[in-house]
Amino acid sequence: MTATPQAEVHTPLPRPSSRLERFARRQGWVVGVAVLLAALVGWRASQIPAFGAFELRGIIAGTMTLALLAMAQTVIVVSGGIDLSVGAMMVLTNCIAARLMLDRGLGTVALVAVAVVVVAMVLSGLIGTVIVVSGVPDIVVTLAASFTLAGLALIVLDGPGGGTNLRFQELLVGDFDQPLPALAWLAGVFLAVWVPFKRSRLGIATYAVGSDRAAAFLSGLNVARSRVIAYVLGGFFSGMAGLVTTAFTGSGEPRASIGATATLTSVAAVVLGGVSLLGGSGTLLGPVLAAFCLALIAPLMLGLGWDPNYAEVARGVIIIVVVMVGGLLQIPRRLR
Amino acid sequence: MTATAAEPGIRRWRQTLVDRPAVALSGVLLVLYAVTATQAPGLFTANGVRSTLLLACPLAILAASQTLCMLTGGIDLSTVMTANFAAYVAANQSGQGPLVALGLAFLVGAAVGTVNGLGVGVFKVNPLIMTLGMASVLLGVVTVGLVGDGFLSGSTRLLPVLRTVASGTLLGPIPNNMVVWALVAAGLIFGLSRTGLGRAIYAVGDNPIACRLAGIRIWQVLLAVYVVSALLAALGGLLFSGISGSVGPDQTNAYLLPSVAAAVIGGTSILGGVGGYTGTILGALILTVLNRLLLALDTTEAFRQILYGLIVLALAWVYVRITGQRGA
Repeated sequence: MTATPQAEVHTPLPRPSSRLERFARRQGWVVGVAVLLAALVGWRASQIPAFGAFELRGIIAGTMTLALLAMAQTVIVVSGGIDLSVGAMMVLTNCIAARLMLDRGLGTVALVAVAVVVVAMVLSGLIGTVIVVSGVPDIVVTLAASFTLAGLALIVLDGPGGGTNLRFQELLVGDFDQPLPALAWLAGVFLAVWVPFKRSRLGIATYAVGSDRAAAFLSGLNVARSRVIAYVLGGFFSGMAGLVTTAFTGSGEPRASIGATATLTSVAAVVLGGVSLLGGSGTLLGPVLAAFCLALIAPLMLGLGWDPNYAEVARGVIIIVVVMVGGLLQIPRRLR
Repeated sequence: MTATAAEPGIRRWRQTLVDRPAVALSGVLLVLYAVTATQAPGLFTANGVRSTLLLACPLAILAASQTLCMLTGGIDLSTVMTANFAAYVAANQSGQGPLVALGLAFLVGAAVGTVNGLGVGVFKVNPLIMTLGMASVLLGVVTVGLVGDGFLSGSTRLLPVLRTVASGTLLGPIPNNMVVWALVAAGLIFGLSRTGLGRAIYAVGDNPIACRLAGIRIWQVLLAVYVVSALLAALGGLLFSGISGSVGPDQTNAYLLPSVAAAVIGGTSILGGVGGYTGTILGALILTVLNRLLLALDTTEAFRQILYGLIVLALAWVYVRITGQRGA
């Protein structure tokens, strides 16, 4: 294609976008969620005269389970899948941990904790393998798995029970007025597991596979392995969520509805956190912040003197409205 | 079932199964029924057949709404909450006469479906999230309505007409609710294969971009699908309350997985464009008989759940293997 001299064609060169533009495009949603969270925490603080370490610990430790489940869901969604069994996995690990940790010393409890997380990783990896090998859609496999996992939880504990070590509880979720341990664990998992993973070849492969499976395959990536690894990492986060539940409640509870609700909330947190359900994009931070936002709704309503049962309605409305607004924001980009 | 089977006879046999999944599914159903009957001999009597059909009906109706959504590439996670809500409204308003009560119940369904359809069709929200949010809203509304002197509190009395339709017997082993089921099935099977909307539903699920370029108003198709889906959900909830003889804010929740599973086992692809209601009917019957088998096995609830999950998975796996209909 040589340009003819008489027709002067102006081909605008693509201008490199500025740092700010790129930051706004990549992290804009997460910053928005962070601002929302800050506003909600500020609001909650203004509702309680003596807002302090006690309330903060309650919020952070109480939401840690959900935040970890949101992480699990995010990794799997980024890889192009979805896991409707994360909640059931949490319930199962909670029951295993509570049963084995009852009346044990800290050393044994720590060993059990590690073993429980490994079990969750293996089971989740197994689910991922079945999805990849069978070709059955992930929604179906994980829905079926949620039944099986809930059944296993009932075998481990046939009713609420079990227990754990007090010192272990303090170490994981903090004493009543210590928000730091829970926060440290969350930040630790994020910095020690997610950040290195995201920067490694495996992490980049996960994003590539989630973005376009065929293109990733043609680029020579091992698509099946990447997908299974995403489920294994998801299992790690779900297992951690089960441990945190054990530490926070001090017991095990095999009720299946807990898992189902937690799974649905984790999907909601993922979407509110700006992760596309189509896969291949999004960060882990957004869903974690979104999980805290979702968890703050009920206490805020209590503070307003409303029936906290409205929180469920508010949560649903917020999910729908935010996603609709997100859809509207996408329209100009699509037309461009 | 290995892919290496290349003998012409086996290939032809497999092709038949691919072309007519109903044949294979009927075979599975018959074998499963026979096996179950060895554990629970009552199944060979007219009453056994009747109870199977009776229990399969609400599941098949809820699975119908799931089938419709899945054909467009969506899913409806709010079906069971819609069903619960509609049944509750009907029981709560039964004092006003059956016409008003049933009308209000279906109005609930229509409203839910309209919001879902607008969200998915117009605002392009992912169906999973849209219906998940809707389920959350409905759960909250029902909970709030039941607390104190909320709008759902007060007496709940099941409509006598529901009891008759849902649990009466027409003749022999055929329960009354088979009439409703047959009407729904005929409407869906005819509508999906012979009407413009029905073909558009398949087309939208198969290739939305091609549909848009062909001039199909996708949002109207999706709106229609989600409204019909929610109306079917309301119907399923009403029939279930008629069978159980009561209403509860979470009584059909256990049907969520089976309703999706029935459609999947019946050959409807969760990715859209492939499937139909005939398979879903068989899928719902298979799952109902499976449930009966697990109950007959006299094990614990825990073991039943494990087996149920594994068998649903195995059925879906075998189906995908035979038909070569792989997920993305």
